[in-house]
Amino acid sequence: MRQTLALGAALAVLAGICGAGAQTANVDWTGYTGDITGSRYKPLDQINASNFSKLEVAWRFKTDNIGNRPEYKLEGTPLEVGGVVYATAGSRRAVIALDAATGELLWVHGEKEGARGAAAPRQLSGRGPAYWSDGKEARILYVTPGYRLVALDARTGQRIPSFGTNGAVDLKADTDQTIKPDLTSGEIGWQSAPTVVGDKVLVGSAFREGFTPTTADNNKGSARAYDVRTGRKIWEFHPIPRKGEFGYDTWLNGSAERTGNTGVWTEMTADPEAGLVYLPVESPTSDFYGGTRPGNNLYGNSLVAVDIETGKVKWFYQFIHHEIWDYDMSSPPLLMDITVGGKPIKAVAEPSKMGMLYVFDRITGKPVWPIVEKKVAKGDVPGEWYAPTQPIPTKPAPYARTGVSENELIDFTPELHQKAMALVKDYKIGPIYTPPVVSKPGGPYATLSLGAASGGTNWPGGSFNPQNHTVYTYACNSCLLAMGLVPPPSGMSDLPYVIGQAGQPVVMINAAGADQGADAPLVRRPIPAAGGGGRRLSVDGLPLIKPPYGTISAINLDTGMIEWQVAHGETPDYVRNHAALKGKPLARTGQTGFSIGTLLTKDLVIAGDAEVTTTPEHPRGAMLRAYDQKSGKEVGSVLMPAGQSGSPMTYMVNGKQYIIVAVSGGNYSGEYICYTLPNG
Amino acid sequence: MASMRRALLVIMLVATSAQAQTTFIWDGIYTEAQATRGSEDFAAHCARCHGADLGGTGEAPALSGPKFLSDFDGLSLGDLFDRIRTTMPQDNPGSLTRDQVADILAYLLKANALPAGTKELDRRSEYLKAIAFTAAR
Repeated sequence: MRQTLALGAALAVLAGICGAGAQTANVDWTGYTGDITGSRYKPLDQINASNFSKLEVAWRFKTDNIGNRPEYKLEGTPLEVGGVVYATAGSRRAVIALDAATGELLWVHGEKEGARGAAAPRQLSGRGPAYWSDGKEARILYVTPGYRLVALDARTGQRIPSFGTNGAVDLKADTDQTIKPDLTSGEIGWQSAPTVVGDKVLVGSAFREGFTPTTADNNKGSARAYDVRTGRKIWEFHPIPRKGEFGYDTWLNGSAERTGNTGVWTEMTADPEAGLVYLPVESPTSDFYGGTRPGNNLYGNSLVAVDIETGKVKWFYQFIHHEIWDYDMSSPPLLMDITVGGKPIKAVAEPSKMGMLYVFDRITGKPVWPIVEKKVAKGDVPGEWYAPTQPIPTKPAPYARTGVSENELIDFTPELHQKAMALVKDYKIGPIYTPPVVSKPGGPYATLSLGAASGGTNWPGGSFNPQNHTVYTYACNSCLLAMGLVPPPSGMSDLPYVIGQAGQPVVMINAAGADQGADAPLVRRPIPAAGGGGRRLSVDGLPLIKPPYGTISAINLDTGMIEWQVAHGETPDYVRNHAALKGKPLARTGQTGFSIGTLLTKDLVIAGDAEVTTTPEHPRGAMLRAYDQKSGKEVGSVLMPAGQSGSPMTYMVNGKQYIIVAVSGGNYSGEYICYTLPNG
Repeated sequence: MASMRRALLVIMLVATSAQAQTTFIWDGIYTEAQATRGSEDFAAHCARCHGADLGGTGEAPALSGPKFLSDFDGLSLGDLFDRIRTTMPQDNPGSLTRDQVADILAYLLKANALPAGTKELDRRSEYLKAIAFTAAR
């Protein structure tokens, strides 16, 4: 293996010397978002509008055997450095190293974690590894399902013995809290990719879904920086302040002591020049009921800029006071330099599940355009505490639907619209931040919300082009959630309310991938009462919400204006072929989903469909699409065997540009597919 | 030339007869009794995540309705059979027998308003691969 790699390196050097375009012969993708600013941008244009549809498969890597069972939820974005692709893969969440031009497997490193892996709240392959090099040695860092930070030699895939304890740091043990009930089964983990800034590596924390938590007093979130050479902890940030720390008094009745979650589960970004790291903090326990934690709950649902050396808070902004909608902070903060009214601003822009883009001066935290506290509706859930106002940006305008009203309901035909109107009569609907309700037989069964839990923009986040100062982001425009609260059945939870529907058994919502990782034991567990016999939020099998179901938007941050917005994704077969729509001309609807990330090259926005379709134009499959950055016009597409499940990336090796995208879902197990142009 | 024509004719005949033999999920390919058995297995092994009414929950998608049918449109029934057989239930894949999987599949077909017939669904995926999964009749 080492020989192969040495040969590859020699060839790369040779190409660098001989190649005409020596400057661009090799372009690397060094972090999850391509860099540490969140951009997902590389100014490559060998693959462009004129030839995108000619892309061919350079190689593919099926991840079935990376673990003891195949995975259907491959979410990774690989890295590429020096002709080698590094990715996390499979139900084992192993790291694989592949030859970037051929896909040949160079090494694989997995950790068997036994009971600890089986109990992990966030299993399966995760979003990716991180890369570090000082020019002499190179390391790959990743977090296992069982919550260990592992450092590997990038050449061999072997643990670095001098890092932590024999190459790993136990993130459950090396923390300022005592993980309950023990290190094996204690609920905390992480599925995102670490961020490397200089000689530091940043890691966050995640938990199960907060729909039906067993306790309000869950383990607490944290974000940490480690010395990439030694594995020594440099700082730890407490998103739930400790007694004496700023923000502690925003948890009334001392509830900071008895509340958990509030992790940093998505990717972090950093500005080394400013000496700042940007932490997007999720919501506290629980996602839809906060009566156990009265107050605004800092730093829940905040963007926190901390000192890169100390972890001390430099500034913060709370997007939602006392959150009860599971909006979290889902997206890597986008660190962009913009010019507003002739004035250059070092900005940070935060896409959100709320479908709103929040823009700040990233040095001071001052909003670039005013963000106004607006009065919001108060709910009537017994014991709940309601924030009277929530911040709403005045600019840019929302880029996805933010609430549910009659105007958002299906209207292909007057009959379908009438049926939708009849259906929503049994629910509470309203603008963004309409609170959840206690579910009652006969109604209201729930508050209907767009974007809560799913987004808007979820974990894939947005992207930006530093040249034209424009954010490009996908948003689900039809992700509907019924937020009804019911008392939990005996023994399920110490919270007075969990998500459910009156008259139906409560379904324990764990987390996608739980009990599916390679460490999960193959033993039968007792089967609880079946649930989910609830009311369907559809009209004759069609979505209750009208198209576009999902969009990509271009938002210029010099002007704050949405420049274009397109429906993303082929019209689903069950919509296009629906009997009620036969013979009706139908504009492309886009697709409902929240796992789509965008890739930017010099002039293109690239993203795949989430669902497979079969149309007169193409056989069964999902399209990987390219849009013109200026106009939003689709300029090319390629047929993939399954939907995009992990965000695409690009790189150039030996003068040849490649695009890798993770696909999986339905009948198709996880696969990384690498595309390039035909030779000659 | 003559032999080539004959070969062509043979190929055409084979193609025609293959076409004539194509079975669809609409052709009454399971029995009511099998679907009833399948409903019990479904309740015991699948309903926890997919919902007692196959409507899906926060953890897993719906297994009835137009979206489910269109997700598998264009594949074979064997593809769906193998997806269940090799990966379900997700916390204990491979724990169901082929007979149980066939029964559960029969129940899914019935729940999606596909007609029952007189012959039970086969337990061999190789045979089920010959049955076309088409969302529309």
